[in-house]
Amino acid sequence: MSPALAADLEIDSAMTLNQVGVGCDVRIRFLSGPGCDRLRDLGFCEQLQVRKLAGGRNLICSVCGTRMAISRELAEQVLVAPMG
Amino acid sequence: MRTSPETPATIALIGNPNAGKTTLFNTLTGANQKVGNYSGVTVELKSGETFTPHGKKLRVLDLPGCYSLRAPSPDEKVAVDALQGNLPGHPKPDLVVCVVDASNLERHLHLVLQVIDLGIPTVLALNMVDMAEKSGLRLDPAKLSEELGVPVVPMQASAGRGIIELKQALRFPFPTPPQAKWAAGTNEGDAARREFILDLCELAARRADAHQLTFSDRLDHWLLHPILGWVVFLAAMFTVFWAIFSFAQIPMGWIETAQGGVAGWVESLIPEGDLRSLLVDGVLGGVGGVMVFLPQILLLFFFIGLLESSGYMARAAYLMDGVMSKAGLSGKAFLPLFSSYACAIPGVMATRTIDSAKERLVTIFVAPWMSCSARLPVYFLIVPLLLHENEGSWKQALILFAIYALGTLSAFGVARVLRRKLGPDAGNHHFLLELPPYRAPQWKYIFRHVLERGGSFVAKAGTIILGLSILLWALGTYPKTDSKDDAEALAHSAMGRIGAVIEPLVKPLGFDGRVGTAILTSFAAREVFNSSMAVIFRVEAAENDKQTRASLRGRLAAAKWPDGAPLFTPLSMISLLVFYIYALQCLPTTAVVAREAGSWKWALGQFAFMCGFAYVSSLLVFQGGKILGF
Repeated sequence: MSPALAADLEIDSAMTLNQVGVGCDVRIRFLSGPGCDRLRDLGFCEQLQVRKLAGGRNLICSVCGTRMAISRELAEQVLVAPMG
Repeated sequence: MRTSPETPATIALIGNPNAGKTTLFNTLTGANQKVGNYSGVTVELKSGETFTPHGKKLRVLDLPGCYSLRAPSPDEKVAVDALQGNLPGHPKPDLVVCVVDASNLERHLHLVLQVIDLGIPTVLALNMVDMAEKSGLRLDPAKLSEELGVPVVPMQASAGRGIIELKQALRFPFPTPPQAKWAAGTNEGDAARREFILDLCELAARRADAHQLTFSDRLDHWLLHPILGWVVFLAAMFTVFWAIFSFAQIPMGWIETAQGGVAGWVESLIPEGDLRSLLVDGVLGGVGGVMVFLPQILLLFFFIGLLESSGYMARAAYLMDGVMSKAGLSGKAFLPLFSSYACAIPGVMATRTIDSAKERLVTIFVAPWMSCSARLPVYFLIVPLLLHENEGSWKQALILFAIYALGTLSAFGVARVLRRKLGPDAGNHHFLLELPPYRAPQWKYIFRHVLERGGSFVAKAGTIILGLSILLWALGTYPKTDSKDDAEALAHSAMGRIGAVIEPLVKPLGFDGRVGTAILTSFAAREVFNSSMAVIFRVEAAENDKQTRASLRGRLAAAKWPDGAPLFTPLSMISLLVFYIYALQCLPTTAVVAREAGSWKWALGQFAFMCGFAYVSSLLVFQGGKILGF
């Protein structure tokens, strides 16, 4: 299996931040979409741990001890996997 | 590097929003900048001076907070331009102090690495170490310094801790620009920086447990609750408005009493004549009528300062995002629009935190329709007259509420239409907001800020309004006639003649030439309307301002058209209120909008639109009401 295919498979199996349940801890796997750079500047980087604190119209997440409110559109661009 | 005493070296403070740059700047320079626990409080470049331990002078620039040097929002662009020396009047800084929040190194170090990549000597101020250590973070400043290659100063700027050490680090010669270790790895650019930061934080900022529920988390559980959160929000907003409209009456009474005392003293000192008339009717009546609003303005700025400084303002923006989206705006437009209830000028300036250029323009456009405090004198004059009552009943409060609601809803309606018309943004802008931890308010800075705003209001009353009051008095007094009848003398004066000329224009709205003249004078600043009316209708300053307004209302109730019909009917008063809700009568606002929107076209378009809208609405109210038989 080529590395590109492996990466594709991993993206397919990952969840977006919207799909994560409130109160769950997850690790960021990929960022994909037009808001990527902005998200990385704010601390939503690959490998970092995130806890989703509230859902709804805008999500509240805790990243590195900071609480951020982000829109659903942006959360859709954050692909995460369970901790471990 | 310039080290001669004549041209002091420039140091710039940069950091993520809410890292404590402005607090550090104030501590370093002793200046009085506004500090809020809300990102984007520093929307302009501030500069000040400080001295090294050896007494050398340094120029300090406080840059607006930014997350990166890629600069999508206007205030971040200012920071980037300043660092590269592209801002006219500001030399390229000789040294950059990166201010970071020690509890958030993973995020804040991003910007630090980008700054180091620019090749400017850098010092890292590791701020808020107390909070970080309390949250269980184990920091190793020596390791950080070694890995980054820059001096690292742990500090707590709000308590003044670490300032001496920082000044030691700023002494000459400045440290040499460090070698960027991350550039040596296999990755490039952002990816390399991210990897470096992750490794560095493992080494120098170990977290005991990544997710402990902090005090802020527990508080947010209630304050951002879908139902309870709104109860708290509405209660907070209600308290602010109650304090402004009700509690402020107490100090307002003191000002009025003092003003009446001075008027009586002047009258006992100077014999009857032009000079006494100028001082009592012109100067004291005009300026005093405006000064009385000082307590309300101070209270509003105090509450805004309190909400920002404690961290609640960001929560309010989060809660309001859904409501604002109905108007095509985001929660970030809440703070600018809320501030506009006090004064549109700080409101328009606060729009710089909005990333989307189009959303920002729309917010600027509608901000003056959030009824500002300068309109209150007019409302307080007219509303009791409308109800044939004295001031202070619940019916009046209800009408005031309706006035505010009408302005706000119209603003949202226009924002919605305009936002659609401007189309979607070029870039991708989504709601994204940092919710800072709750902190105890920094009283010292709140009070200093409130005093500063109060000072600038008093300065305005002492200059523009004083000048206009004297001008109006002169226009209403000269040329003189021999007639003893006041009304005849007024008709003969310059003011009476101007009124006669514009009467055909305002008559369809239900006003005569005298009211038209008062409206005309209030185009410089709305609050001038009351003093103009007092001067035009020859009301002498009474014991206190409430009585002055009461006697002015008496005069207005008795005022008649030449055919004997009463001048102020309920319909013409509603028409007048509607005109004041919509008209943009504030020169400073237009000037600030022109600067912030970057075009006079936008500012003048806003002025023409709002005044046209006001005229047409008033016309519809008056003529429509007449047709319906009111």
